[in-house]
Amino acid sequence: MLEVRNLRVNYGAIAAIRGIDLDINAGEIVALLGANGAGKSTIARAIAGLLPFQGDIKYDGRALRPNKAELNVRSGLALVPEGRGILAQMTVDENLLMGIYCRSDKAEALEDIARMRERFPILAKRRNNLASLLSGGEQQMLAIARALLSRPQLLLLDEPSLGLAPKMTDYLFGMIAKFRDEGLTVLLVEQKARQTLKIADRAYLLETGRVVASGPAQKLINDSTVSDAFLGGHAAH
Amino acid sequence: MLLQQLVNGLTLGAVYTLLALSFSLVMGILGILNLAIAELFMIGGYIGFAAIGANLPLPVALVAGMIGGALISAVIEKLGYEPLRDAPVVTPMLSTLGFSIILQNVAINLWGSDPLQLPDQYLGGQLQFGWFTIGKMQLTVLVATVLLVAIVAFIVQKTSTGRALRAVAENREVARLLGVSANRLVLFAFMLSGSLAGAAGVLISLHYAAITPYVGVEVGLKAIAVMVVGGSTRIWGALVAGPLIGLAEVMTVAYGGSQIRDFVVYGLMILILLLRPQGLLGGAQIDRGQRV
Repeated sequence: MLEVRNLRVNYGAIAAIRGIDLDINAGEIVALLGANGAGKSTIARAIAGLLPFQGDIKYDGRALRPNKAELNVRSGLALVPEGRGILAQMTVDENLLMGIYCRSDKAEALEDIARMRERFPILAKRRNNLASLLSGGEQQMLAIARALLSRPQLLLLDEPSLGLAPKMTDYLFGMIAKFRDEGLTVLLVEQKARQTLKIADRAYLLETGRVVASGPAQKLINDSTVSDAFLGGHAAH
Repeated sequence: MLLQQLVNGLTLGAVYTLLALSFSLVMGILGILNLAIAELFMIGGYIGFAAIGANLPLPVALVAGMIGGALISAVIEKLGYEPLRDAPVVTPMLSTLGFSIILQNVAINLWGSDPLQLPDQYLGGQLQFGWFTIGKMQLTVLVATVLLVAIVAFIVQKTSTGRALRAVAENREVARLLGVSANRLVLFAFMLSGSLAGAAGVLISLHYAAITPYVGVEVGLKAIAVMVVGGSTRIWGALVAGPLIGLAEVMTVAYGGSQIRDFVVYGLMILILLLRPQGLLGGAQIDRGQRV
């Protein structure tokens, strides 16, 4: 579904991504793991169309032009950015309405909003509240619901667990695992490597802008060199 | 007498409100002060004069001023802002200052630097309401302002385009992720802002029944004061601050003398900003910084 070849991204003179290859097949959860500054977010943002890049990104066989986020969302790519990206000065309902901004089938899109309120009852309950008044977990639900309203085929999640309580994180990861059952493809950028690998099909491990390991999540979780480097060293249990 | 001054103050305040809204539409979204707005306002005044002088009805004059303002504003956006959008904010601001000088010189060359007067025959009569009289033109200014503010409020608050505009204002990146073409919305904001400035120009030139190429500087500066007093991050602050400044100005002239008019108006602005630096309706500090 997504083919990334020799992707390079520079921030000024600094090379943030130094030529990586990455594939995502339809129906998979692919994890992108690494420490802070390894380049995970940069890859997600380049795919979503927020950054200029060199190299090739093909989505559904079509080359994506760099820095065209407003077009990419219409071809089925949605990114929930790091920090959730909710519009804090708008109400919950207005945030959801922004989620269907890109849709041309407005009547059906409004029904989707109603369905989204059933799926996340808190969004119905607090529909007229400013989004800034929601808790962190509720904001994350809003951000994900809003992204789903664009009817993506590929959902990019950039550190969705950041700043969430452990219980909320468990709920969130359970939900992401369910997305796969609904036919959605997910690229999950995370630092919580162990938990991520449990729900992911495959994973790429990044270090300073390069892929240092990749493969099926099950295999990576049992690989002692990988777990030493990325899972905090205490893998052997 | 007092009631009469209230009406006069509200009329003047109405024009300040419109012009301040025009400034804050661009300010709120891009964080830049479009200084050319003051001269769009002046050009709007001349367009209004020309239309009324040609015996066209007032709504036509108003629409003509709005279209003129919107079109010039679109040119300013394309030539003066878009190529500079990645430059520091002071750069596009200086380019709008350049445009304002050009517009003023165009007006001086076209219409001369002496004031044009509108003959009484166009001003309509006076309406008598018990204790006070109101000029038909004054009433028109008030009604037109209320209508225009209502239309802008509807566009910004209730339409899909208005929501997209607010999304771009709050977080351009998130807006793009949701499919908003930020460039197109910025152009729309400039045109909406320009049409308000044009309308305000038509209204004030009819209110004063006179216009000069320098009216933009004088009134424009007050409109910026209105925007700042209202809170430059909240566009609706102008609705409170406009009438307030208008009333302060008219009351000062009526009871204090016109020589201390600007002293009182700008003094009031400084006082309000000392007490409430964020403006009357300005919210708490909003995080506008970029996330890394």
